[in-house]
Amino acid sequence: MTIASDNPRVAALAAPLSGQDPDSRAAPRRRRSRLTRNLWGYAYVAPFFVLFACFSLYPFVYTAWVSLHDTSLSNIDAAQWVGLSNYQKLLHSDFFWNAARNTLTIGIISTVPQLCMALGLAHLLNYVLRGRTFLRVAMLMPYATSIAAATLVFAQLFGRDYGLINTGLEAIGFDPVNWEGGRWSSQIAISVIVTWRWTGYNALIYLAAMQAIPNDLYEAATLDGASRWQQFLHVTIPSLRPTILFTVVVSTIGAVQLFGEPLLFAGNGTTTGGASRQYQTLGLLMYNQGWTNFHLGQAAATAWAMFLIILVLVGSYAVIGRLRARAER
Amino acid sequence: MATVSFRHATRTYPRTERPAVDALDLDVADGEFLVLVGPSGCGKSTSLRMLAGLEEVDSGAILIGGRDVTDEPPKSRDIAMVFQNYALYPHKTVEANMGFALKLAHVPKAEIARRVSEAAKILDLEPLLQRRPRALSGGQRQRVAMGRAIVRDPQVFLMDEPLSNLDAKLRVQTRTQIAALVQRLGTTTVYVTHDQVEAMTMGDRVAVLKDGVLQQCAAPKTLYDCPVNVFVAGFIGSPAMNILTGQVVDGGVRLGSAVLPVPRDHLVRASGGSGRVTLGFRPEAIELAGPGDGLPVVVTVVEQLGSDAYLYSKLAGESTEDPLNPSDVVIRCDARQAVEPGRTVWLRVRENCLHLFDPATGLRVAS
Amino acid sequence: MATIIPVHVDLPEARPGPSRRRGRGGRTSSAGPLTYLLLIVTTLVSIFPLYWTLVAGSHTNNEIASTPPPFLPSADLFENFALALEQAPIGTAIVNSVIVAGCVTIGTVLCCTLAGFAFAKLKFRGNGFLLALVIGTMMVPTQLAIIPLFILIAKLQWVNELQAVVLPTLVSAFGVFFMRQYLVQALPDELLEAGRVDGASTIRIFWSIVVPIARPAMAVLGMLTFLTAWNDFFWPIIALTTENPTVQVALAGLGTGYVPQRSIIMAGTVLGTLPVLVVFVVLGRQIVGGIMQGAVKG
Repeated sequence: MTIASDNPRVAALAAPLSGQDPDSRAAPRRRRSRLTRNLWGYAYVAPFFVLFACFSLYPFVYTAWVSLHDTSLSNIDAAQWVGLSNYQKLLHSDFFWNAARNTLTIGIISTVPQLCMALGLAHLLNYVLRGRTFLRVAMLMPYATSIAAATLVFAQLFGRDYGLINTGLEAIGFDPVNWEGGRWSSQIAISVIVTWRWTGYNALIYLAAMQAIPNDLYEAATLDGASRWQQFLHVTIPSLRPTILFTVVVSTIGAVQLFGEPLLFAGNGTTTGGASRQYQTLGLLMYNQGWTNFHLGQAAATAWAMFLIILVLVGSYAVIGRLRARAER
Repeated sequence: MATVSFRHATRTYPRTERPAVDALDLDVADGEFLVLVGPSGCGKSTSLRMLAGLEEVDSGAILIGGRDVTDEPPKSRDIAMVFQNYALYPHKTVEANMGFALKLAHVPKAEIARRVSEAAKILDLEPLLQRRPRALSGGQRQRVAMGRAIVRDPQVFLMDEPLSNLDAKLRVQTRTQIAALVQRLGTTTVYVTHDQVEAMTMGDRVAVLKDGVLQQCAAPKTLYDCPVNVFVAGFIGSPAMNILTGQVVDGGVRLGSAVLPVPRDHLVRASGGSGRVTLGFRPEAIELAGPGDGLPVVVTVVEQLGSDAYLYSKLAGESTEDPLNPSDVVIRCDARQAVEPGRTVWLRVRENCLHLFDPATGLRVAS
Repeated sequence: MATIIPVHVDLPEARPGPSRRRGRGGRTSSAGPLTYLLLIVTTLVSIFPLYWTLVAGSHTNNEIASTPPPFLPSADLFENFALALEQAPIGTAIVNSVIVAGCVTIGTVLCCTLAGFAFAKLKFRGNGFLLALVIGTMMVPTQLAIIPLFILIAKLQWVNELQAVVLPTLVSAFGVFFMRQYLVQALPDELLEAGRVDGASTIRIFWSIVVPIARPAMAVLGMLTFLTAWNDFFWPIIALTTENPTVQVALAGLGTGYVPQRSIIMAGTVLGTLPVLVVFVVLGRQIVGGIMQGAVKG
C-alpha cells in the first residue's frame, strides 16, 4: 500500500486544485462558439446551392447579359453590346404588346373563374361525403395529365370540323365555332384547358385550409345565429384569405409563363399563336424570337420583361394585402 | 469522482441585454441530488443546458469531476439527460432508444443487451421493449426516458422538468420513484423544475434562481426556515408566506390601522434608519387569538381542505371589495376553526416563526 | 412575397393531437342531393376528356364528327396504338421519361431534405438570406433561365442527352421550402439534442434521426416531383428532339407533325398518359393527401 497516487486524500486535495485553474481565467470573454455546428449548415445546403448556382442563379444573370447584346442562336460568341436597345425595340414592338395583352386576357379568364369554382368546390367537398377519396382523386386527375396530353385532347374537342363541341353545338341548333380562328374563341378555349387542369388542385388546397379552421368558430357563429351562407362569408372566407392570396400569386406566376397550351393548340407547330397571333402569349413570343427567329437577345429581353411583370403584380398584391390589413386594424 | 461545478458561468443570448444566467457559482458534490428551481425565465433550464453542452458558455467555466468541460461537446462530457418531452426517437423501439448511445459508443452488442434488460427490469419496462414510443402512455414514455439515461451509467444525470408532462397523481408517484432510484444508483443528479414542492421533496439541496442570478442554495429545511431574502421566502412554501411591510411602533409593527405585536429587540436591527420593516410569516405559523388580542383581519374567502382550512383575509379597515387583490394575509387553521367570510379574527404569529427583511434590499435580517 | 411564407406542412404523423371533431358545425354536416349532383358533374367534367381520348383514339375523323358521335371505344384502338408507335418513338419516350423522372425524384428529394433540414434546424450565418433567395426564385419564370442553359448544354454537347433535362430540373425551391416547413414542426429540437447527448455525430444525427422523421414528407415530395418531372414540358422541348424524346416531347411532336387521322394522335396520347395515370390512380389517396398537407395555410 505505498502507491501514493491511490491515496484518497491526495486525490481529494488534487481536485480543488484543478478546479482553481479555470476560475483564474474567468474574466469575461466572448467565446467563439465551438459547440453549435455552424459550418454544418453550409454542408447541408451545399448540394442544393451548387445546383442552384449552376442552373438557376448563373442563367438569370447570364440572361440579363444576353438581353443587352445582339446575339443569335447560331453565333453565340459573336455577341455585340447593344445596351438597352433590345428593351427599346420590345417596347416599340406591336408583337410584344399584342402578346402582353393576350397573356393578360387569357390570364384573367383562366384564373378568376377557376379560383371561384375551386372555392365553391372546396366548400362542397367539405361536407361529410360518401366516396370522399374517389371524388378527390377524380378531381385531381386533370392535374396529373400533362400539358401536352391535355392540349392535344382539347384541341381535338375544340376542332372546327371534327370536334365534339361543335358537333354538340350543331346538334342543339347553333352554328359551329371556328375556335382556333377567332381571338376571343381561341383564348376562351385555351383558358378552358388551364381551368380544367388546375381547378381540382386549387380546390384541394382550399379544402385543406378549410379543414384547418377550428370548429369552435363555426359553433360560435351558429350560436350567434349566423346562417350557412353568413358562416361561409364571415368565417370561411376570412380564414382562407392567406390561402387565397397564395393561390392567386401562384396562378399569376403560372399565367404569365403560359406556353405549352398555346404552342400545341394550333396543331401545326407554329410559334406565332394563330394566323393573326390571336393567342400568342409572352412565353410563346419569347420562344418564337429565340428558337424560330434566332434572336436570343430579343428573347432574353422578353424573358426579363416577364419577370418584371411578375414582380410588379406580386408586389402590388403584397401592397394591397398590407393596405387591407392596415384598414382593418 | 463526479462533482459538478459552475464557476462564474454566464450565458447571454444573442440580441439580448441581460444574461440568461449571470455568473453562476455552484458546486454539486459527488452523488448529490441538486434541484434548480425558480419561476419561468429564471435561467434554470439554461444552466442545465450549459452543463449538458447544448448551450454556449459566454464566460466562466463548467467542471465535471474536476475536469474543465466548458468547450467540450455533449458527447465527451459523460452525461445523460432526461428531457421535458422525453425526446424519444419515434421510429426506434424502446430497446433501440435505450441502447442508441451505447451503440454509438461501440459497446459490444451482448453488453448493450445486458444493460438494456437490466434497466428495463428496474423500471418495469420489460414487456414494452419492442414497442415504439407512439404506443406508450405518458408515464411509460417517462420511464423509457429514464431508462435511456440509466443504461449509459453516466457521471451525471441531467433532468429538465421530467415530470411536467404527467398528470398530477402520476407526477407525485413518479417523483418518489425517481428520488429512490437515483439514491440507489448514487449518481450525481442535477434536476430542473419550476415546482417548489417537487424541489423540496426531491433535492438533497435546492438552488433557487431568479432572473439568472442564484438566490440561495441550501437544504430544503434551511430554505424553508431561513430564506435569505424576500424572493426565496415567497417562492418556497405553499400557500406562500405572508409578506407585509409596516412602520415600527411601540410594541410591534403597524400594519394598516392595527399593530402586530413583535418583540422589540428584533425590530431595532431590522428597521435600520427608516423605521420601516418587512415582515414574513407563513400561513401555518399563525395562531388565532381571542378578540382584541393581536392583529385584526377580516376574512374574505374560506377554502376548506378537509383537515385544514385556508382563510384569506384583509387587514381590518381596508376595503374588502377589491376583487383583484382579495387578500393580504392567508391563515392556515384547523378546519374546525374556520369562520364565515366577513367575520373579523385576531391573529398572532408563533414564537420564532417571524422572518424580518430589510424593506430596501429585501435581504433577511438575522434574528 | 413575405405574405405567402407561412406554409404549414402538416402530415398525420407529425402531430399526435386529438382527431378532429365531427360535430354539427357548419362545415361538417352531411351533403344534400344537390351537393352530390354538383360534385358528380364536376367529376364527369374532370374525367370525360381523358375518357374521350380513348374514344377518339379508336375512331376515324368522320366517325367522330357524325351525329350522334360514338361514345364507346372500339377495338381499332390497338391498331391505332401500333400506328402511333410508328409515327412517334413513344416506347423510347416512356423509357426516357422513367429515367428522367426517376433521377430527378431521387436527386431532388435528397437535396431538398438536406437543405430543408439545415434551414429548419441549424443556425448558420446567412441562413435567413439564403432561404429568402430560395423562396424568391419561385417567382422567377422558367423562361429566364433557358437561354443560358441552352447555350450551356450546346457547349457541353448535351443536346438530346437526358442529363441535359435531369440536372436543371433537380433545382426545386418548392421542395426545399416544403421540407423546411415540415421539419420545423415535425422534428423537435429536443430530439436533436438527445442525439448529441447520446454521442451521435452530425452525419449520424441526419441519417438516424432526421431522415426517419422526414420520411412521410419525403414520400409526398417524391410523388409530386415525379409527377412534375414526368409532365415537364418547356425545358425538355428545348433540350431534346424527337430523336431522343421524353413522353411530352414525343406527344408535342405527334401533335404538331402532319398526321391525317387525329385518332392516331389520340392513341399516342393514351399511350403517353396511361403510365402516369395508372400510378396516379394507385397512389391517388397518398397524392391527394400530400397536396392537401403541403397546402398553404395561414
